[in-house]
Amino acid sequence: MSTQQRKIRVLMGKPGLCGHDRGIVLVVMALRDAGMEVIYSGRHNSPESLVEVAIQEDVDVLGVSILAGGHLSLCERIATLLRERNAQDIVLLAGGFIPPEDIPKMKAFGVREVFRDGARLEEIVQFIEKVATERAAA
Amino acid sequence: MFLEQIKTAEEEWKERHKDEISQAEAVNAACEDGIPLKVLYTPSDSKADFYAEVGFPGDFPFTRGNDAAGYRKKLWTISHYAGFGSPRETNVLFRKMIDHGGVPPYMALDLPTQLGLDPDHPMARGEVGMAGTSVTSLRDWETIFEGIKLEDTFVGTVINAPAAVFLAMHVVLAEKQGADLKKIRGNLQNDILKEFTARGNFIFPVAPSLRLVTDTLEYCAQHLPAYWPLNVCGGHYPEAGANRVHEVAFAFADAFTYIDDAIRRGVNIDNFAKGIFFLMKTNHTDLLEEAAKFRAMRKIWATRLRDHYGAKDAETMKCRVLAHSGGSLLTRERPELNIARTTLACVAGVLGGIQLIGLRTMDEVFGIPTEKSELIAIGTQHVVAHETGLPDVVDPLGGSYYVEALTAEFERKVLEELERIERMGGMVKAIECGYVRKAIAQDAYRTHRAWENGDKVKVGVNKYQIEENDPPRQPYAYKPEEEQRQLEAVRQLRRERDNAAVDQALKRIVETAQRPAATGNNLMPPIIEAVRAYATIGEICGALRRVFGEYSEPTSF
Repeated sequence: MSTQQRKIRVLMGKPGLCGHDRGIVLVVMALRDAGMEVIYSGRHNSPESLVEVAIQEDVDVLGVSILAGGHLSLCERIATLLRERNAQDIVLLAGGFIPPEDIPKMKAFGVREVFRDGARLEEIVQFIEKVATERAAA
Repeated sequence: MFLEQIKTAEEEWKERHKDEISQAEAVNAACEDGIPLKVLYTPSDSKADFYAEVGFPGDFPFTRGNDAAGYRKKLWTISHYAGFGSPRETNVLFRKMIDHGGVPPYMALDLPTQLGLDPDHPMARGEVGMAGTSVTSLRDWETIFEGIKLEDTFVGTVINAPAAVFLAMHVVLAEKQGADLKKIRGNLQNDILKEFTARGNFIFPVAPSLRLVTDTLEYCAQHLPAYWPLNVCGGHYPEAGANRVHEVAFAFADAFTYIDDAIRRGVNIDNFAKGIFFLMKTNHTDLLEEAAKFRAMRKIWATRLRDHYGAKDAETMKCRVLAHSGGSLLTRERPELNIARTTLACVAGVLGGIQLIGLRTMDEVFGIPTEKSELIAIGTQHVVAHETGLPDVVDPLGGSYYVEALTAEFERKVLEELERIERMGGMVKAIECGYVRKAIAQDAYRTHRAWENGDKVKVGVNKYQIEENDPPRQPYAYKPEEEQRQLEAVRQLRRERDNAAVDQALKRIVETAQRPAATGNNLMPPIIEAVRAYATIGEICGALRRVFGEYSEPTSF
């Protein structure tokens, strides 16, 4: 191939104040092992700063992880900001301690998929590979 | 002579059972932290100088226990941790518990409070009153303890980055109640170093954070001798994924950092080190290593305190351990098996001779525990305490060839890790360069991959699964009206108080923070004055943020 294929770019970060990052760090490591370019923005991010970095860094996927119960309001704000910035093509994924009954609500305001704390790393890797390929083709 | 005989007999035994033993040895058994396990342990595996290494309970180096008579002297404390709603609801609960002859449980605070943010800060949106009580100023503290005499009540608070503000609120309220500060008992978590690497609720950079801890230690050594200003939390490391050697080594490295700083300040080791407790995990995985861990901890701590820090008082040398079973090992699949897991975790702690045990409930993987499951968690401990006979004999594993070898090997590995950290220039450097985070992440990744590929069994998850549905879940008690109420309360407070006095007090905090840490320049007095003037936690931490800045964590693994 003459043109080099662009690596999948992912921004991973923890919005809000929740400090539990064991899960998100595992995902960061698994995505890197799968050959993706991953930016990890650490803890205590505002929705505004995550969206700003996602746009600046031209990522395919924005993954957020929340375990302290703030997932509904935080994800809604991030999804809204992505739309306001005309960046809704960035795939928004969420993970963490999320009760099943909240998943439809999160999908309704723009979260593409939710990976609860029992999800397998491989499952997340494959999902991101799939959506990034779709996005590149679009 | 005896050892020679045993060695010969062991060789002969190996020869007789050659096939079986070599087959067993082909399976690489090891603890999660890499300590290899033999098929059998004999006297040739234990140290020749057993009594020097292990000794007697109640005597240095305390490997066999802090007390000569162990649990016959005093049973471990059966602890429980509970969540709360508003300051008013917390007050009702505390009074109820005191009326029933108990002590209030450790107080959980919401995340904005833990991060020094007022309820009206933009980052606090949606999180006020969520993971615990929202405490904004002395006014909330007064509400929580209305009708409760602080002189008679032990108050434990799970607070770290703004711990100095909470100590100040306690001091001011005690003074207002006319209490004798020398009699005030209570405990702050106050272990900021593990926040940078494991728990995540940090505010300021490492060095000024450490200064705040030392300021509280120094203040308590001078004014509140009965107060325990620090719990060193090793237990957050395994919850973040660290293996057991890292759990202990990082906890000790944190503790030594606090001690070094306090000693540099001129505080006498025997005046404050007794108030340091370790909050660890007790887990069912590698169960006998868990018991060996607690034995090794006592020996390492006592040796370091006596030989390195020159402690004279035997009480200073005793490593006091409180432990909870780990939430991250519980499963949502077949959740009843979590009772089996926590029962074994309790047994591990008891075999290790620790001072306090708290067990997780079987259903907390689904949300706030039900009352029934809380009673099961407490009842489980009652069964271990009163039906098994385990508390009857001190250190029942002492002298086991296997457990003694495990204890010695565990100690060796912890000391090796401590040396590695010391070579890096100490724990502050190890945190700042990202070493600790990386070590934890790599441990977590290894374990997780082993679960995913089935090398490590999780019953119900990767083996022995059965079809089932999530049981109905207890929703989080989140009330948006609570956030609104706290928001209005803080606005009202700002209208009613003497704002000139607040500004003056905050200015003094800034001036004190700008001068280098030293005795005579302790931040506690100006923080106490600000609290007395009803400055909010966000304003006090904001003043400190202006001088100290905020911590930015290393994010490479």
